[in-house]
Amino acid sequence: MASVDITGLRKLYGDVVALEDISISIPSGSFYTLLGPSGCGKTTLLRTIAGFHDQNSGSIAIDGAPIHDVPAYRRDVGMVFQDYAVFPHLSVEDNVAFGLRQRKRPAAEIRTRVAEVLEVVQLGPFAKRMPHELSGGQQQRVGLARAIAIKPKVLLMDEPLSNLDARLRVDLRAELRRIQKDLGITTIYVTHDQEEALAMSDIVCVMYEGVIQQAASPLDIYLRPANRFVATFVGANNFLSVVGNGDGFALGSGGADLVGLAPGAPSGGIVAAIRPETLFVAGAKATPSDAGITIPATLREVSFIGREMEIFAVTRTGEPLKAVSRPDPGVIGMDQGGPITFAVRREDLLFFEDRDTGARI
Amino acid sequence: MAGRLFPGRLDFWTGVTILILAVLAVLLIVPIFRVLALSFVDADTGSFTLGNYVEVFTRNYYVSGLKNTLFVGLMGTLGACLLGIPLAFFTARFHIRGRTWISTLAILVLVAPPFIGAYAWIMMLGSNGFITNFLERFGLETPTIYGAHGIILVFTLKFFPFVFLMTQTALNAVNKSFEDAAGNLGCDPWRTFRKITLPLVFPAVSTGAIICFVLAIADFGTPAILGRGFRTLSTIAFAAYRSELGGLPTMAVTVSIIMMAISMLALVAQRRILSRRRYASSLTNLPVRQRLSGWRNVAVHVFCHATVLIAMLPTLVVVYTSFLKTNGPVFVGGFGFESYLRIWRTAPEAITNSFIFSLAAVALITIFSSLISYVIVRRETTASGAIDFLMMVPYLVPGVVMAIGFVTTFRTGAFQGVSVAALLILLYFIRRLPYGVRSTTSSLRQIKPSMEEAAINLGAPPLTAFLKVTVPLIVPGLIVGSLMGFITAINELSGTLIIYDSGTITMPVQIYLAVLDGEFGLAAAFSSVLLLCTGICVYAVFRFADNRESTFV
Repeated sequence: MASVDITGLRKLYGDVVALEDISISIPSGSFYTLLGPSGCGKTTLLRTIAGFHDQNSGSIAIDGAPIHDVPAYRRDVGMVFQDYAVFPHLSVEDNVAFGLRQRKRPAAEIRTRVAEVLEVVQLGPFAKRMPHELSGGQQQRVGLARAIAIKPKVLLMDEPLSNLDARLRVDLRAELRRIQKDLGITTIYVTHDQEEALAMSDIVCVMYEGVIQQAASPLDIYLRPANRFVATFVGANNFLSVVGNGDGFALGSGGADLVGLAPGAPSGGIVAAIRPETLFVAGAKATPSDAGITIPATLREVSFIGREMEIFAVTRTGEPLKAVSRPDPGVIGMDQGGPITFAVRREDLLFFEDRDTGARI
Repeated sequence: MAGRLFPGRLDFWTGVTILILAVLAVLLIVPIFRVLALSFVDADTGSFTLGNYVEVFTRNYYVSGLKNTLFVGLMGTLGACLLGIPLAFFTARFHIRGRTWISTLAILVLVAPPFIGAYAWIMMLGSNGFITNFLERFGLETPTIYGAHGIILVFTLKFFPFVFLMTQTALNAVNKSFEDAAGNLGCDPWRTFRKITLPLVFPAVSTGAIICFVLAIADFGTPAILGRGFRTLSTIAFAAYRSELGGLPTMAVTVSIIMMAISMLALVAQRRILSRRRYASSLTNLPVRQRLSGWRNVAVHVFCHATVLIAMLPTLVVVYTSFLKTNGPVFVGGFGFESYLRIWRTAPEAITNSFIFSLAAVALITIFSSLISYVIVRRETTASGAIDFLMMVPYLVPGVVMAIGFVTTFRTGAFQGVSVAALLILLYFIRRLPYGVRSTTSSLRQIKPSMEEAAINLGAPPLTAFLKVTVPLIVPGLIVGSLMGFITAINELSGTLIIYDSGTITMPVQIYLAVLDGEFGLAAAFSSVLLLCTGICVYAVFRFADNRESTFV
């Protein structure tokens, strides 16, 4: 169990800023996820913590002790790789024992520790196998066992599930979380999959262009995104422009006035974000009675995908809208190109400054 | 930037990079620059002059040598293309019986000692050759093998496998849909070949051709044995070196520099042409082999098998000759082991020397190619780019040039103490290092960097991670590279001829001297020993290489 504190970390590739003034504090024993699109710096941050990259400035400390100048092989952080990186020329047990042998532990201790860790990842019977005799999921378990065998202070995982097929990913996701909780090991997890991040983490840290956008609990990230980028990346959102009308505000595409929006909003303009699952077709069965804000639009397409239907439309001002709800034959039967009216509850609207990373109002 | 707690953090591989650069500087850059510098020195006064170049470009002796070199180089390359391209096309596009056999023979031709071809053809078509004598009985006059056309014949038959193997590999990778599309758009097969297939494999053809050209320009053994007054730059350089012995070898190095310049110009020209032709190959629709029938089928089979058999002929003749009964230099009829016994009596040390030098060089090649390939593949620095570039240089520097550079650098001044044996080992090492590096590099590129990172993350210092994880994973590439290094080192002639002394004679030198003395039996026995070593190595390469054909070119 160890806490990790990163202060003012900055990393450049030539002139390109990969990490910009990263300061995070990871509580001991927590599952901390770095979430973001590719190129956002999440993997760079993880690899800098592991010691594979040099930072240009800033510090990294584990339990208060600075490690940012310690060479990678003495950092005592276990890493699980996206491509498993299981040594193909060593058996499962030799892979798991590799780190212990580097630490010159006695043979008897190595034996018991290897058996113990293989038990944790449920690979006990596979100890003598060679990696090519294992499936992808099993190989990643070896990767995990190898990383935790050395009892590292911190466990780093770089998209460990992204090379697995969807079913296995969900299974292994739960198992990873269970093992992490059992061991109580501080874990930093990198992923671009928002579902994975929300399902596993104690804290989700959303990154974009080398900058931390928001670090909060999964629920806060989803319900109270700090800025427009987080709202876009975590859960798809519809964005509608908001215009002033005299002393109040209204959706640019028409519809009811938006009461309660603070006047004096930023000059750059405001957008309203509506999650697809909170956008209803006015008058349909499932539409809640308090969905008071209506949005007139033109229906483009309804696609029925089984558990739900997706409704694609455009507002009068050409802004695309997507709604997701339980299948409704009445809606699926509607004419493409015909008029449709959506309804949304006032409290399901979030407002942001109208730029990429515009703050929530 | 915060101060380092452990300043040694990046130093292992930085140190290795510095070591590699130092070795390359001493063994490659300095000798070449010594040669270059010497070419601007007046042999009598020791002062700066352009006179050597003026002499080379004005005196008929040198000018004709230059013309001869270009002529046999270009014609040999052309001949190699004329054999290699059809052979590649036939084996890649038609059902040919014994296709593996054809490729294997082509590879054997490629690795056979380079000068064997020349003197085997003398034994067949020379003034006392058995084909000559045979035809004479019927009153038929055979054209002499000596001179330009003999050299061109040998170059053609010796170097066509480069064009063949490279073109074949490329043809096998051409998406069949391109050819189908051309056919669909109204091209007949011949037109499709000219308009679609040939342009698509042009990069491979030109690479094969450029290898032929560079090797032909640098070849010493063939013109030395077959030339008879027809001089090329390499024989001129060697003769000049011999005659200038004791003084400054200024003319020898000037001629050498011209040879290098030709090779480099050819390479630059080819790169230029290729830079405008980059074809991304997406392997979706692999080509299929057509079944031919009737006379076409027979003709194609005859062409393919005859080509490789004729190219193999010198080797067969050599092995056959080695078992002929001899009395001194004279063949007395019947079979016997006299030639082999004479190796034992006259120069057994040539065999041991060849092995010791080559094995020592290969040991160095193995160590350095593993380190160099790591630096090239894993560390993207200016230094690693420079090393990558320098690995191309030994291909371009003829053996004569490199050896003269070595002698002028290491037989004088600070390095005078270096023994001839050590010099030969270092010469083989630096000249054959690229074979090891190339093979190891391609092996390492297939290994994900996360392997070493995982080892480091688990607590292994850089050297441990390299030895315990990287090296075991690149062993196949290392073995193939080392074998290729060995094959080419043990067959080295031109450089050795410059450097060797009485105690350091090697098999190729012994063969060369025996051929000059007319001791064909002895030469054949030595050549057979050499062929046997080479053959064993080729077999080993076949066992370890993923793609046996492309390993050799």
